[in-house]
Parts: sequence; structure tokens; C-alpha cells
Amino acid sequence: MLKSKRGSTLTIKLSAVASSAMFRYIIRRLLYMIPVVLGISVIAFITMYAAGDPISLIRLGKPNIDETTLNAMKTYYGLDKPIPIQYIDWLGNVLRLNFGKSLYGGGSVNSLIGPEILPTIELQVISLLIAFGISIPIAVHSARKPYSKQDLTVTSFSLFGVSMPTFWLGLILIIVFSFNLGWLPSAGAQGAAGFLWWGNPALDVIAHFILPVTVLVYVSLAQNIRLIRANMLEVLRSDYILAARASGLSDRKVVYSYALRNAITPAVTFLALALGIMLAGAPMTEYVFSWPGLGRQYVASTLGLDFPVIMAITILITIMTLVANLVMDILYVYIDPRVRIR
Amino acid sequence: MSKENTSIQTKRRSASQWAVAWRRFKRNKAGVIGLIVVLGVVFVGIFGDFLAPYPAYPDPGALKPFYAGDVRTPPNSHYILGTDVVGTDVLSDILHGTKYALYVGVVVTLITMAIAIVVGAVAGYFGGAVDNILMRFTEVFLVFPSLLFILIFVRVLTLGAGVGTSINFLGLTIPIGLTIVILVLAIFNWPGDARMIRGEFLRVRELDFIEAEKALGASNKRIIFRHILPNILSSIIVVASLTIAYAILLEAGVSFLGFGDVNTMTWGQILESNFADMRVVWWAELFPGIAILITVFAFNLLGDGLSDALNPRLRD
Repeated sequence: MLKSKRGSTLTIKLSAVASSAMFRYIIRRLLYMIPVVLGISVIAFITMYAAGDPISLIRLGKPNIDETTLNAMKTYYGLDKPIPIQYIDWLGNVLRLNFGKSLYGGGSVNSLIGPEILPTIELQVISLLIAFGISIPIAVHSARKPYSKQDLTVTSFSLFGVSMPTFWLGLILIIVFSFNLGWLPSAGAQGAAGFLWWGNPALDVIAHFILPVTVLVYVSLAQNIRLIRANMLEVLRSDYILAARASGLSDRKVVYSYALRNAITPAVTFLALALGIMLAGAPMTEYVFSWPGLGRQYVASTLGLDFPVIMAITILITIMTLVANLVMDILYVYIDPRVRIR
Repeated sequence: MSKENTSIQTKRRSASQWAVAWRRFKRNKAGVIGLIVVLGVVFVGIFGDFLAPYPAYPDPGALKPFYAGDVRTPPNSHYILGTDVVGTDVLSDILHGTKYALYVGVVVTLITMAIAIVVGAVAGYFGGAVDNILMRFTEVFLVFPSLLFILIFVRVLTLGAGVGTSINFLGLTIPIGLTIVILVLAIFNWPGDARMIRGEFLRVRELDFIEAEKALGASNKRIIFRHILPNILSSIIVVASLTIAYAILLEAGVSFLGFGDVNTMTWGQILESNFADMRVVWWAELFPGIAILITVFAFNLLGDGLSDALNPRLRD
């Protein structure tokens, strides 16, 4: 589609712009992220520390810790200072890319969550690309013959999809494909040293991806299809499509070259939202599949009230979401010629 | 819209908008099925305690299967859906859990809608600073994975004393922990709906009959409550029914992750408590999930049906 005349001129036009206006736009958007990240960090910090200092909270369940040890621990973690000072200390450390010390064992948060960033990003990006790649053709075919049998199947299927708890679909897939059939691993991102799935390290990684990716794809697929289908139906009813049909173009050409471009533009914005939904779903999916990522760590740390780790993951996921949004907005300019960067 | 308005006003007032919408709704098979299932779920929610073979957990009778040695029993003729890891009857747990699912769905939606209508009305009708703040605020909310904050809030707020117990209110037993979860879900759910209601207010505000009202000297209060609100009621009903579905799903997720009210056996709690042993008790994972799926699916079908019936111009 991008090879069409309109597409190629657009690309040339944009590459000329890219150096100056686009660059300034990206810089401005990156600067705009700073107050958002700061705001979210302040809210998260206040919420947690207003509940009390974490050491005393954890101690609620373990009354055996004596006062001296407790005070020593508070000093070690800097929890004896007033909350605003603690926040400033925390911020200062974060600016030096140091997220502090975990309350369990006192190890550095960086070394705890560092290895968990990549597995989360891999899972999210792979799922997002597959979901989007599948949803466009399905939605388009469904919209071409609205209220046909095929369309009804697709719409009820996608409504079914949004009605299903993400994590429950994961549970059922594990029960069927791991426990009963024994075809796929039920947990983790790779097999143990002695036991590789399908006998090969590369295939082993793929085997571990299949079930979590299926869950994430299915859930966002449903939302994508509903949205693109609705847009497509609206676009197909518009006057310029009628004009295109009247001028004798084939149905295929009208749908794919004329309508699709306009129909997927709003879907690209939705891609950012879908990523937000998927990232939000990360705790559930990763928890179900024991995926060694940020989401699973987040659940464990929040249950254990490990405040420094919670703060670090909240900030990381916020930044990921904002960067993803920026990428989507830039994509938007390439897809929709009416959008101009300011 | 203006065309539709005049056509409505020429009809008899009694058989107006709602009767037309009901006739249109009845033709939508999926919507009617949704409505029937929703009514069924409400019935089970009210009478679940009488239908269930065993009483709910704090009652010692709930552990009868346990004392009979029937822990982790697969589904059979006596325990139709099996028994779970603790030794309670899964069917009874699901029937008792229905009222909690409805409690979550309805209360979250009521709070969400109350806040959303007030904020959306002010922002949409008066515009200005409130509107600007709302829009920036909801943009952040729409993009940010709010589940992270929901989990922090629920965890921190359920730390206090008295959680897990329940209070008596008008003869109903209200679980405190679950109510905290509900409040947190509502707090994080209203911005999206407020944005939608703001959009509706903006649309209706610009219509000619509002202009006419203003020319007649109607107060802002009168215009908002007597003229705009009834006009967007249909959209509010649709969104409310979808919000119920969403809230039930979200509560199940929060409970499943271990943040829920451990003393209240919601469907999510059943899934959570059997998760570690699901290799054995697959039935205790399968059936509560199906209950969630059916309920949420029914509310979604109902919402879609209502949307088609009440807002024909939004129809795909």
C-alpha cells in the first residue's frame, strides 16, 4: 500500500521535514514527559508512604522484631527522615539511575529488576505486532459484508474476547496444553539447563513464548477488531468511497487502497491504548505464566510492600508507555497526511 | 438529530422514545439474550443462598464436604462442580459469589457514573479551566496502566484494622475489604466515562433547542438537568451497562492476584485460592471463570443491544 503514488510522495515529503520539525517535535515531547513522570512518582510515593513506613508495616505480620533492630533498619533505608526529604533523596538517586535498595535482603533494586525489563518488553512487543497484523485483515473482511454470517461470527467472537478475564484464559490454556497434552511449558521464559523444550535452546525459547503471547494477542485482538471494523464500516459509507466505486474501480482496490488507510488511522492511536492495556495486563499474564518480567515482580513486591521496587517498576512502566505513545504519534504523521507536526 | 427530535415530538408523548427503543431492542436477538442472562444472574444473586447446596464460608456448614473427606473431589453426581482445595463445594461457592459480583459491578458503576456525570457536565457545559484540567487528567489516565495504582491503593488501604470483617447495613452484610476494592476501582474508572459524558454535553449544548431555551431565559441548572441530561440518558445507560461488565472483570483480576478480600469468596477469590493446585483441581479454576465469562458477556451483549436500540445513529 505504501508503494502507491500517494504513499511515496508522502515519504519523500516527510524525510525532508524529518531533520528539522520532526526532530524538534520529538525533543519537545520528550521534555513533556518529565512532568508526567515526576507527577506519577509523587503520587505513588505519597500513596505508599502515607500508609506508614514500610518496615513497620512489614513488621505487623512479624511481631518478633525488636525495637533496636527496627530502628537500625529504618536508618539503613533512610526511613527515619521526613517523607519530603526521603522523596528528594529518592529522586536524586533515580537521576543517577539508582533505584535504591530492596527492603527484602537490602540488595540493589537495579540488579533485582534489571534482568526483568527485557523479558517484559519482548513479550509485549511480539504480542502487539502479531495482534495488529492479524486484526487488520480480519476486521476488513468482516466490515466488507456487515451483518453477514462471517461478520456475526467475528463480532460475537471479539465481544466474547473482551468478556474473558485475561488471566483465566491463561489458566485454561495451561491446563489444556501443558498439564493435559504436555505440549507446551506452563511457566517461565526458558527451560532449565538439563531440560529444553523441543530439544534446542532456540526452539525452547519459542515454546515458552507461545502461551503468554496467545493470551495477550487474543485479548487485544478482540479490542482491535471491534475498533477497526467500526471505523471501516464508517469509512465504507462515505462519499469518496461511493465516488471511487462509481468510477469503476474494483472492490478490492476500493477497500484496500482507498478505505483501509482512513480506517486504520484511528486504530494507530488505539495501538498506543492497546499497549497501555497490555502493559496493564502484564502483571496478570506474567503472574499466571511465572514470566520473569516486571509485571510478576510488581505483584510480588506490592504484596510484600517492597516500596523501592514498586516505585522503580511504576516509573519504568510509565516511561515505557509514554515512549510507546510518542512512537505511535510519530507513526500517525506517516499514515495520515492531514496530520502535521507542530 | 434535529430531524429525529421533531419526529419524536409529533408522536404521542406516552409512546415516545423509550417505547420505540424497546421495540428496536426486542428485534436484537443478542441483546435480548444478554438481558435474559442478566436477569438470571440477578435472580441467582438474590436467591443464591437458598439455591446453594452448602452455606457460605464463615458458616461451619460450608466445610461439610471437608469433614466428609471430600477435598479436591472431581465433579460427580453429588458435587456437580467438584470440591476445592479447602473442601468446600465449588457450585455453592459460585452461587454465593454471584451477589458479590453484582455488588461490585453495580456499586462501582453507580459511583463512577455519579462522579463522571458531575465532572462531565461541568466540563462539557461550562468549558474553561475545569474542562482543560479534565482533558489533561483523562489523557494521562487513558494512557497510564492504572492497574498498577489500583494494586498499590488496594494493598495500602486494606492494611488497616477491621479489614476482612463486615458491617451490617439495613440488614445486609457488607464486606469491608471488598468495599475498599470497589471504591478504589471506582476512583480509577471515572475519568474515561467523564470524558464521554463531556463529549455528549458538548454535542447537545450546541443544538438549536438549547439555544431556544437560553433565549427564553432558562437557568443553567434547568438546562443541564431538564434538557441536556434527559437527552444523553441513553448514552449513560449504555456506558453504565458496559462499566458493570468491566468492573466485574477487574475485581476478578485484583482478587486473583491476591489483593482481594480474603474473607469474601468472590469468583476471583475462588480462582486465587485454587491457583497453586490447579494441576489437580482444574474444575475449581474452570467453572468460576465460566461464571465470570457468562456474566460479563451478558452485560456486554446487553450494553451493545442497548446501544443499538437507544442510539440508532451510532449504529455500525
